[in-house]
Amino acid sequence: MSELRRILIVEDDPRDVELTLTALDEHKLANEVVITRDGKEALDYLYCREQFASRPEENPAVILLDLKLPKVDGLEVLQQIRSDERLKMIPVVVLTSSHEEKDLLATYQLGVNAYVVKPVDFHEFVNAVKELGMFWAIINQPPPGSAKKVL
Amino acid sequence: MAYWSDQFQRVQSPILRYGFAIASVAVAVAIGLALRAYQFRDVELPVLALVIGLVTWYAGIGPAVLAVLLSTTAFDYLFVEPLYTLYVSASDLPYFLVFVLAAVIVATFSAVRRRIEDNLRHARDRLQIELEQRQEHEAKIRKLNQELNLRAAELAVANKELEAFAYSVSHDLRAPLRHLVGYSELLQKHAPNSLDDKSQRYIQTILESGKRMGNLIDDLLAFSRIGRTESRTTAVDLQQLVKEVVSEIGPQTKGQDISWKIGALPVCYGDRSLLKLVVVNLLSNAVKFSGTRRPAKIEIGSVDGNEDKFEIFVRDNGVGFDMQYVNKLFGVFQRLHRADEFEGTGIGLATVQRIVHRHGGMVRAEGAVDQGATFYFSLPKAELPAKRTANAP
Repeated sequence: MSELRRILIVEDDPRDVELTLTALDEHKLANEVVITRDGKEALDYLYCREQFASRPEENPAVILLDLKLPKVDGLEVLQQIRSDERLKMIPVVVLTSSHEEKDLLATYQLGVNAYVVKPVDFHEFVNAVKELGMFWAIINQPPPGSAKKVL
Repeated sequence: MAYWSDQFQRVQSPILRYGFAIASVAVAVAIGLALRAYQFRDVELPVLALVIGLVTWYAGIGPAVLAVLLSTTAFDYLFVEPLYTLYVSASDLPYFLVFVLAAVIVATFSAVRRRIEDNLRHARDRLQIELEQRQEHEAKIRKLNQELNLRAAELAVANKELEAFAYSVSHDLRAPLRHLVGYSELLQKHAPNSLDDKSQRYIQTILESGKRMGNLIDDLLAFSRIGRTESRTTAVDLQQLVKEVVSEIGPQTKGQDISWKIGALPVCYGDRSLLKLVVVNLLSNAVKFSGTRRPAKIEIGSVDGNEDKFEIFVRDNGVGFDMQYVNKLFGVFQRLHRADEFEGTGIGLATVQRIVHRHGGMVRAEGAVDQGATFYFSLPKAELPAKRTANAP
């Protein structure tokens, strides 16, 4: 475990953000996390626009994407990512409240890499987020051009 | 058409009809007399024949006979020598008979023609009525179709709303619950020393309630999903399915002493994952409610009900239930036991019922307090629906 890669979290609910960060922090996975609060902000980040104009060039190693988001929803963000040559290789994990069949269908059709339902139980939630962080920020080899930080 | 109809409308009142006969003959006689005054001879006979035809046509047979009699008499009296007597000489007799015969023939033709016309008219009227009835029926069918379409549209809207509702519950209701549980957990972790035992217990209760709420929502969503998802029907070996479920729930029995008895089970036809849910629910219930028995006895078997259905039963020797409440067993969130006696959300049997109904089967239960319970569900036999699918598009 020599490097920790950047995680982009797209989540509108501040409580969910806090709980997710707490879970990541517990396992020392939180220091390379970028939070965006809606679909538009997420796309701004990915395209280095507005407040993210001066961010480092590299793509995040993984995007944790909520589905129900203000302005631009998760499905639209996913669609945009998958239809852009520069972004389509970024692994996207849907992290959402529901496991409605139509969401599963729609996201997998758009080529999502994983679909995780946030458990109500906090221990399970922490575990799920930890596993995701461990896998995508450490274990998985991301496509070339992803941000990494040498520990 | 209306003109044609009016033209041939027969006069109805008998007085008018006979009056018409008398008047017509009188007019014909008058014409004959007038023409004779101007030296036109032998015109009266065709005029009278014409009048008889007319009377037959408009007034019918009775007036026609009257017209024939009247015109014969008048003809004899006014036009046949010796004039102004009813005497008929032997030499005039053939002439006279020819007239009567001609009159009768004209009347007969007229009557026959009239009858044909009448028949035609009746036929036309009948057709008209049939046509109207048909149009009425068509209008009715169209209206029914419209109503049906409307109803279908309404149903589709209601279904959409229901789906949106479930979607919203699924997304929006779980989030605050997760926060409730998450933050309570964080609080518990954050301040373990500043909380006394009572506060700890309060937090514990909040946590448990939150999780319970989460389970309820999940169960309810799963229940509503049964109705919304498409089912994939195949032949399902129930024997194998039950064995699979028994081995799956084995680890959850926590060392409980259970003697399983699995009888011969048939192959049925249905959605395997849904039928598995039925078996899981029934077997879990049997395990749960016989938890206090040493050993718990759970038997699964089948009864050949009638020619197109069979019945599967799951019998346990657990706490059973009072038959008085049997109709509450299969309701959503209906429970016959307190939450601290047996855990559960009360949706398992509702799910069982819903799935079995969807497969065209029935559910029922028998039991007595402390003497165990038996749950039955019937399913269509495999061969019959197989035939049905062959015909399905």
